[in-house]
Formats: sequence, structure tokens, C-alpha cells
Amino acid sequence: MTKHRLAAYLDALADGKRPDSFDADPEDVDVLRTAISLRSARPGDDVPDDGFVDRLYEELAEEANPRVVSINQRGRVRRRRTALAAVAASLVLVGGTAAVTESLSQGAVTPAAVPAPHGSSLRTGTFETADGEVMGQIVASQGNPSWVYLNVAGTNYNGTIVCKLQVKDGSTIATGVFGLHGGKGVLSKSVRVDVGQLRGAKLVTPSGAVVASATFA
Amino acid sequence: MSPTLRHSLARSTPETSSGTGAIAYLRVVDTEAYADWESVYRENVGRLYRLMYSRVGNRPDAEDLTSEVFRTALRPLRLGSSKGEVRAYLLTTARTVLASHWRRSLGLSVTSIDPEVDAVYLAEPSGSDPPSTAPNRANQILAALPDRYRRILELRFLEACSIREAAQGMDVSVGNAKVLQHRALRMAAKVAEELGQ
Repeated sequence: MTKHRLAAYLDALADGKRPDSFDADPEDVDVLRTAISLRSARPGDDVPDDGFVDRLYEELAEEANPRVVSINQRGRVRRRRTALAAVAASLVLVGGTAAVTESLSQGAVTPAAVPAPHGSSLRTGTFETADGEVMGQIVASQGNPSWVYLNVAGTNYNGTIVCKLQVKDGSTIATGVFGLHGGKGVLSKSVRVDVGQLRGAKLVTPSGAVVASATFA
Repeated sequence: MSPTLRHSLARSTPETSSGTGAIAYLRVVDTEAYADWESVYRENVGRLYRLMYSRVGNRPDAEDLTSEVFRTALRPLRLGSSKGEVRAYLLTTARTVLASHWRRSLGLSVTSIDPEVDAVYLAEPSGSDPPSTAPNRANQILAALPDRYRRILELRFLEACSIREAAQGMDVSVGNAKVLQHRALRMAAKVAEELGQ
């Protein structure tokens, strides 16, 4: 059965269609990777469709401010600018003084209404399990206050998670608590720490078991 | 000068300089940071798509994953960060999104993104995209295969032929073409491994 699913997957790739999911056998990884490599060499498809680029742009703008952006062409430019201003504001504002949020889903861009400092330094890290599986990411930004944002997806663990930031001097800061539901969770929180002094972060269960860890680049 | 250093110099200038210094400060910041999220999107959407396409090999998944990267990344993004920082952040997000995709779709990792190695994908502004290396890699693999194996893979993966059209082109039955494709891919995978791909 798996071989039929593999063959169907490879045929879909060759035909330029979205392949159906299936539980692949590790021994098939090389064939899948080679098929992807060959398919990627077909001229033309590595350039995004203009319709896709414009559609995603509109969706991102509308997610930020649905009342501003309309599918009506008339007046679109003016409204688009307004929407962009709202999104730009939200991008700068997330992580501001009062922008401490916890979310269980990876929702849309959410405008905030709190001023935030400029001129930040951004540091990123990837959460990985002990056996090297990528589970999520963390972003830390220097500011007044500094802030961290992290998201996790794909873990089998459901329940409460504590994020602990590790500082270069060996100390640890418990940054926040959030929940994983269906293996997914997001945490956004301001922190009073010099982001440049951060070494890494760990996600631990209330009992102290490490789910994943990240090292800041 | 590195973006980080220039960023630091820009920050230190206004407090100690006259009006000329302030102008210099504004100019340097403008060249190092994105003006708005639209700039982040326009400069990187094409390159992120190309990166994702090279990792999944089909347009629908590449579009979905590109969308997911921007939806995830734009939420915490701060425009005060330098372009280099934003690109590194986009790549880190892309790595996570791709890993999650493979877990969901096949239950194991088939391809991955290394933010350091793959930084070249986002290194330059869009509009000056470097030529893809995918054709060279494919040609290397195909050149090492027997004629019939090479031909079936060319027809199916590079020339967009259906399995029926490929069978007709090779004067074999559809069933034989499927078997041929399967065996050719197995051998191609071994060749790719030998080539270090």
C-alpha cells in the first residue's frame, strides 16, 4: 500500500499537482528528494505566479485591518495605503510595553495600540528536540522593554509549557507560560533583559522535562 | 562595513552631531532597514517562494508554505531591524515551516533549510535573481543514467509529459512507463547520493 502511495506522490510531483500525504518509509526519502530535485529543475515553475503574489499581499493587508481593505477596485490604492500603515504600525508595536499576549493559535497579524521603541536588534533561534527535530522558533528583540516571540508546532506534547531564557552568565530567566494544544502554541512577551546577552532558550514542562531547546544566532 | 556596524554607527550619530549628522543618520537607517512591511514582502516573496519550491517540487505546496512563512513572520517583525536581520528571521521561520510541513505530510523530513547555507536565496533584492542551480544538479544526475532511464525522467519531470505521453514517446505501454519511471528514480537517487546531493 505504501508503495502505491509513494508512486502516487511521485506521479503528482511529475504532473505538477499537490501530492497527497501518506506515512512515508525512511528508505523512500532519497527517491522523494531526488524527484523533488528533478522537478525543481523544470523551467518556469520556480517563479511565483503574479496572481499568488498579489493575492497573498491583499490577504496579509486584510488580516491586519479587514475594515480598511476591500475587494472593490475603486479607491483600492488609498485604502491599501491605510491598511499598510496599520500593518506597519502593528509590526512595530508588537512587543511594546503593554503588548504581552499569549495565544494558542498562529492567528493573523494583530494590530496593537501601544507605542514601542525603534532601533532594535533582532536575534533568532530554532527550537529543536534532543534528537534534532525542528519544533519551532524564537525571536528576541532588543528594546525598552525587550521582547520575545516564539511559536511551536508539531510536538506530540499537549499541556502547559514554560519558556526559560538562558543568559551568557549562566543564569536562567523564566520568561512565560503558555499552552500547547494539538502540538501548537505561541507566546509573545516583553522581557527585561539585554537581548545581546542571551545564549539560548528552553521549553520545559511543569515537571522540568525539556521539550526543546534553541541557541540564539 | 557590516549592516550591524553601520546600524550601530547610525544610532550613535544624532546625539553628538549637528543637523548634518542627523541627516546622515536618517539616510543610513533608510538604506539598512525596510521602510515598511510592503518592502519586506515585495523584496522577499519571490525568493522565499523559489526556496520553498526547490524544497517541495510543486507549486501548490510552495505557495502555501510561502504564505505560512509570511503569516508567521510578520506578526512579531519589527521594522527597526536591519534587512539582514529580517532576512535571517525569514529564513529561520521558513526552516520551521518546512519542517512542520514534512511532519504533517509524510511523517519524516525529506528536505530542509539551513539558514546559513540558504542565505543566498535572500541575499540580494528581488529583480536580480541569480540563475537557479537546480538544472545543473538535475543534469548531473541524468547524465549518469542509462538512456532509457534518463529519457523517462526527462519526459516526466522536465518536459511536463503525462505518463501516457511519456509512454507514447518511448513506444512502451503505460504500465511499462510506470515501471521504468520507478526504476529510473531509484537509480537516480543512488546517483544523487554518490554526487553528494
